Amino acid sequence: MPNAVSVMLHHQRRVRWGSLLGVVALVLASQVVLRVNVHQALFGVVAGWAWLGAHFAPNAAALADLPEILYQLWRTVLVAIAATTVAGGVALVLGLAGALPTSHLKAVRGLVRLFASLMRNVPFVAWALILLFSFKQNDFTGFLALLLMTIGQLTRAFIETLDEVGPGPIEALTATGATYWQVIFQGVLPAVAAPMLSWLLYMIENNIRDATLVGMLTGTGIGFIFDLYFKGFRYASAGLVVLAIIAVTIGIELTSNKLRQVLNA
Amino acid sequence: MLSVRHLTKTYPNGKKGLQDVSFTAAPGTVTAVIGPSGAGKTTLLRSLNRLITPEQGTVTLGDQELRGADAQALRQARRQIGMIFQDYNLIEPLSALENVLQGCLGQKRLLPGVLGLYTKAETSHALALLDEVGLRAYAAQKTRDLSGGQKQRVGIARALMQDPKVLLCDEPIASLDPQSTRTVMTIIADLAKARNLIVVMNLHQVGIAREFADHIVGVNAGRIVFDDNAAALTELAAAAIYEKEATALA
Ligand SMILES: Nc1ncnc2c1ncn2[C@@H]1O[C@H](COP(=O)(O)OP(=O)(O)OP(=O)(O)O)[C@@H](O)[C@H]1O
Ligand SMILES: [Mg+2]
Repeated sequence: MPNAVSVMLHHQRRVRWGSLLGVVALVLASQVVLRVNVHQALFGVVAGWAWLGAHFAPNAAALADLPEILYQLWRTVLVAIAATTVAGGVALVLGLAGALPTSHLKAVRGLVRLFASLMRNVPFVAWALILLFSFKQNDFTGFLALLLMTIGQLTRAFIETLDEVGPGPIEALTATGATYWQVIFQGVLPAVAAPMLSWLLYMIENNIRDATLVGMLTGTGIGFIFDLYFKGFRYASAGLVVLAIIAVTIGIELTSNKLRQVLNA
Repeated sequence: MLSVRHLTKTYPNGKKGLQDVSFTAAPGTVTAVIGPSGAGKTTLLRSLNRLITPEQGTVTLGDQELRGADAQALRQARRQIGMIFQDYNLIEPLSALENVLQGCLGQKRLLPGVLGLYTKAETSHALALLDEVGLRAYAAQKTRDLSGGQKQRVGIARALMQDPKVLLCDEPIASLDPQSTRTVMTIIADLAKARNLIVVMNLHQVGIAREFADHIVGVNAGRIVFDDNAAALTELAAAAIYEKEATALA
C-alpha cells in the first residue's frame, strides 16, 4: 500500500506540473493568435477608464434624458420580473415531474431533466437571436428569451431542492391516507417554499441584468436606448443609463437579500 | 385484531426481506418487533400499511385485507393506521399545530385538504392532542426548533389526529436520549391502554422491549423466530433472536 500511495503522489505531482506548463503554453498561444499581449492589455484598461471618465460622466444635457431612461428601465425590470415569475410557475410543475420524491415514472423524470438542461444551456442571447426571426423586435421577444432560459435554470434548481426533501415527510403524509395532491400541497411545498422563493429572487436579479443585454438585440427597453445614445455619440446619456442600471440592480439585490432573511427566519 | 399471514417480500435486487411471516397483534397491547440489523423489521412494519407491497400473504385489520386492496380501499385503511418514524418525518418549517393537523388530511375532501383549510373542531382537537403529549405550550413553535423528544411527541400527536386503530412505530426512540426515550415509551404504552390501540413497534433495545411491550415478536433473516409474551423473553431466548443464523424457536 505505501508503495501505491507514493506512486499516486508522484503521479499527482506530474499532473500538477503538466497542467502549469499547459496554462503557460495556452497564454503564449493566445497572445500570438489574438495579437495582444499582457502589458498592452493592462495599459489599455487604464487608458480606457480614463477615456470613460472623460466622456461618460453624466452632464446636465444627459439629465434631461433621465425621465425617458427611468421609463425604459422600468419596462425592462417588468419584463425581467414577468419572465422570471412565469418561468417559476412552469418550473414548479416541471420540477415536481422531474424530482425523485414526487415523480414515480423514471422516463418522465429523465425527459424533464433533459429538457431543462437543453433550455438552460442555450444562452439567452442565442434564444433572443433565434426568437427575433419569428417574433421580430419587441418586448415579447425579450420576454420569451429570458423565459426559456429561466425555465431551464429554475427547473433544475427546483428538482434539486425537491430531491433534498427526501422521501420521509412525503411518506409520513401518504401513510395518513392523504392523496397525492394533498401530500404535494401540504407536505412538499411548505418544506421547499423558502429555498424556491430564494431561487426565484436570485433569478429576478440575474434577469434584470440580462434583460438589458437582450434589449439591445430586441430593440426594446433600457438596452435599446443605451444602444441609441451610444451610437448617437451621446456618451453622457449612455453613462447615465449605465449608472441607472447599476443603481437598480444593487437596489434589487439589497431588497431580495432582505426578503430572503425574512423567508428564512 | 391485526392479523398477518404468510407475508413474503423479496426486493427487486433479490434480497429476501420477509419469508412467510405470520403473527397477530391485539388491541390495547404493545407488540415489539426485535431482531438484528437487516433482519427485516422495517420491511415488516412498512408492509403493514403498504408503504411496501409484499408479493404474498395477507394483512387483515378488522375485516379489511390490505395487501391486495385497491388504491381507494388502501387510503381508507391507512386512515386507521397511524405511523411514527425514527427521524420524525415532520414538515419542519411548519408549526407543531400545523403538523398535527396534517394527521387528518386523509379524512378531508380533496380541496380543503390541498388548501390546508381545517375546521375549528379539528384545530381544537389538535390542540387537545398536543396537550395530551405535553406540548400545548409549543403549538405555535416551528418543529425545526424543537428537541428530538419533542419532535417525536408531535409525531405521536399527528398519528393520534387520525383517530387510528393501529399505531406503527419504526424505531421511535433510536434517535433519543435515555430520558426522552422513557417519556416517549411511557406515552405510547399508556395510549395503547387508554385508547385500545394496536401498537406495533420496532425496537433495538431488548430491555426497553421487555419493560414496555406486552408481546414480543423476534425476527431474524426475514423469519419469525420468537412470538410470545414479554415475560417469556428470557436472556437465552433474546440471545437466540440476535444470533447470526438463528434456528427457529417458534
Ligand atoms: N429498498 C431495498 N432494496 C433492497 N433491499 C432492501 C431494501 N430495503 C431493505 N432491504 C434489505 O432487506 C433486508 C431487511 O431490511 P430491513 O430494513 O427490513 O431490516 P431492519 O431489521 O429494519 O434493519 P435495521 O435494524 O438496521 O433497521 C436487509 O437485508 C436489507 O438489506
Ligand atoms: Mg429498520
